[in-house]
Amino acid sequence: MGSDSESPTSSDDSTSQNPNPNPHPNSTSIDQSLDAIEDQLTSIALAQPNDLASDDPASSSEEEEVFKDAPNGSVLEEENQKERNEGEIVEEEVGVVAAEEEVREEGRLGWRRVNSEVEVDRLSSPSSSGYAGERGSSGGASTASGIEEIGEDRGFDGNGRGEFFDGASDSQAPPWVPGKRHVDEDDASVSWRKRKKHFFILSHSGKPIYSRYGDEHKLAGFSATLQAIISFVENGGDRVKLVRAGKHQVVFLVKGPIYLVCISCTEEPYESLRGQLELIYGQMILILTKSVNRCFEKNPKFDMTPLLGGTDVVFSSLVHSFSWNPATFLHAYTCLPLAYATRQAAGAILHDVADSGVLFAILMCKHKVVSLVGAQKASLHPDDMLLLSNFVTSSESFRTSESFSPICLPRYNPMAFLYAYVHYLDVDTYLMLLTTSSDAFYHLKDCRIRIEMVLLKSNVLSEVQRSMLDGGMRVEDLPVDPSPRSEFSSPHLGQSRIATDSPDRFREAFAGIGGPAGLWHFIYRSIFLDQYVSSEFASPINSSQQQKRLYRAYQKLYASMHDKVIGPHKTQFRRDENYVLLCWVTPDFELYAAFDPLADKALAISTCNRVCQWVKDVENEIFLLGASPFSW
Amino acid sequence: MPSRRRTLLKVIILGDSGVGKTSLMNQYVNKKFSNQYKATIGADFLTKEVQFEDRLFTLQIWDTAGQERFQSLGVAFYRGADCCVLVYDVNVMKSFDNLNNWREEFLIQASPSDPENFPFVVIGNKIDVDGGSSRVVSEKKARAWCASKGNIPYFETSAKEGINVEEAFQLIAKNALKSGEEEEMYLPDTIDVANGSQQRSTGCEC
Ligand SMILES: Nc1nc2c(ncn2[C@@H]2O[C@H](COP(=O)(O)OP(=O)(O)OP(=O)(O)O)[C@@H](O)[C@H]2O)c(=O)[nH]1
Ligand SMILES: [Mg+2]
Repeated sequence: MGSDSESPTSSDDSTSQNPNPNPHPNSTSIDQSLDAIEDQLTSIALAQPNDLASDDPASSSEEEEVFKDAPNGSVLEEENQKERNEGEIVEEEVGVVAAEEEVREEGRLGWRRVNSEVEVDRLSSPSSSGYAGERGSSGGASTASGIEEIGEDRGFDGNGRGEFFDGASDSQAPPWVPGKRHVDEDDASVSWRKRKKHFFILSHSGKPIYSRYGDEHKLAGFSATLQAIISFVENGGDRVKLVRAGKHQVVFLVKGPIYLVCISCTEEPYESLRGQLELIYGQMILILTKSVNRCFEKNPKFDMTPLLGGTDVVFSSLVHSFSWNPATFLHAYTCLPLAYATRQAAGAILHDVADSGVLFAILMCKHKVVSLVGAQKASLHPDDMLLLSNFVTSSESFRTSESFSPICLPRYNPMAFLYAYVHYLDVDTYLMLLTTSSDAFYHLKDCRIRIEMVLLKSNVLSEVQRSMLDGGMRVEDLPVDPSPRSEFSSPHLGQSRIATDSPDRFREAFAGIGGPAGLWHFIYRSIFLDQYVSSEFASPINSSQQQKRLYRAYQKLYASMHDKVIGPHKTQFRRDENYVLLCWVTPDFELYAAFDPLADKALAISTCNRVCQWVKDVENEIFLLGASPFSW
Repeated sequence: MPSRRRTLLKVIILGDSGVGKTSLMNQYVNKKFSNQYKATIGADFLTKEVQFEDRLFTLQIWDTAGQERFQSLGVAFYRGADCCVLVYDVNVMKSFDNLNNWREEFLIQASPSDPENFPFVVIGNKIDVDGGSSRVVSEKKARAWCASKGNIPYFETSAKEGINVEEAFQLIAKNALKSGEEEEMYLPDTIDVANGSQQRSTGCEC
């Protein structure tokens, strides 16, 4: 029976036709097999070619630096293949083997698959859903390398709806199209393997629930692999959180019977990717509540996919927002800039209905809050708002008529449904009335009619539209001297922009580009209010791709500022070839600012002070004040 | 997208090392056979779309390693299986004797809700070897064992010659489908703010 009892990486058992059915492997064989698996870690998803053809120029020198140390992530395909063939593992059919190691619960494990007929089999056996020939679905990287990497959303970026452009690709890209894409792909497709960021939801029995790319059923073998890895580590009383394989990170999140996995080579920090998985899980809870767990308790075979029918758009839109909506990592919401009196007027009428049995009344424009009110002690978590507005804005059916739909707010009560009455007041502005009673439709409809009348009468809706056109804070409007606040007594932010070249514009060193001192962009997050304000994008951060890159840089900063091991930091100043990034964290607020990479440090710091002062001067207009603070 | 309802069925293949589990799967999915023995490491996963009574569904086949050192993977693999296939080699008595262990191990680890009626299928493989002259387990003996375990359906196959493989998997799919049919009810709660308590929306538990 040849080498069964020897190292499993030995190749000479090919001659053995009748293996011993009861092998007694010695311990070294397992060790060796784990070693071999470690060697193969790079094959976990897709080995990367040199980043030459990558469409994401975000690979700054700084970032490249980081990945120099990574294990042969950039080895070309042929080399990989050769290594394997010389090496020994050729005889093994497949492998899923997991091994725990490392401190902090971080397991590292790998699976590999060796086969010699990769491309040949592609055409055979249409019924085998892509796993033709001797290839398992748990495939390694072999076919993947040497071909350029495909952007996350290539060809679909830009944006039809948010005001920023998302972009893996250049600015001429067609607008982002909601819904699932590349359904024809599976894990045997080269294009699928080249996607930069995958998200998967699967059940604890390995049944696929959602995949960002490709058809879930065709990916059944792949999701089985993921489940095997997770469960294997779990069996050992451990948990797998992260696997690094070259440029790729595989992030796992286990939520009872639901497993979530992200495979990404976007260089986002682990914390950010895990946060994104948390949001995806929250989105699922919003649609179904956590009661699905009970189904799995009673029946582990339970297949959840039918319950999520038609919600692909909701998830793909959420995933898309990870690259354009800073709320996804700031855990704060943002308001549409409005004159204080206008927002007050909207708040007053929402208050009226909240007193009549409405749990939450929320008026939003795209992803920005116009006003929101909660009954008595009820308060709304910013993540719930994000998930709710994503659910509403991504589902086309809400736009066409008034709707009444069960939804669950995962941070409010993950077990139970609320009912949402949703009505669009104009193309971007929508009203959401949440209640606990399933028969409140007509009452809520009456509430909406009253609200709509008041909003029209008090010109709130026209102000909202005007604000949408005017936009928010612009770096080039940053006042020189923050002390004379009278300048901002004007009812609307936009008005201070009229005289762009007036002497109080401070543009000595970087005339023509961005704001004073080379300020390109900022985000200010008020900790007490759970709200943030972000400046409008302006030259040179023009393309969706640059904007996404900047958000990723902020996100990295955010993660490092909130790192429990190193932090909390007070300030951080970073310079690389793309930007100077400055972050300032206090008990009251966090400021993230991006400057020209040549910006002067002292000047940048004083500019940040001015930004904070500016935000305070106009807080009446950019924030919703007096909303009940979020208590949990 | 139209949510055409599709069913995914998880099928686990168990049996001693070398009895031909991987070969059966390859014959079924890819219509291929190799004389070379390549020990499965951990588990191999394949999918196949199958049509059955006008319905399209996906078989997610878990081909596990028979070698003893992988048996600790059990729980991780068995959970939520819709059907379990037990394979032995008709030329190796030990592999037949071990069927009982495989079956019991599966029932313990997977703990299906109704173990009595959990769908198993037994396959006696390699009937082609030496034209059947090296056979040590008789069909009668095998059928008797299957009958004693609640009438488990039994097939004799050759992965090499492709004998009976398609038929066996067809029944596997059919039985897996049957077992998946009693769907779990999904009953979320609603919030009763007035009482500050939670209620089942159906109220059927009152
Ligand atoms: N003659 C003959 N040989 C077979 C048949 N099925 C499998 N074999 C051979 O038996 C050996 C073992 O087959 P595998 O399918 O790899 O066995 P397995 O059950 O998957 O083994 P493990 O992966 O170790 O658990 C191989 O050399 C096959 O070529 C068959 O029907 N007839
Ligand atoms: Mg095998």
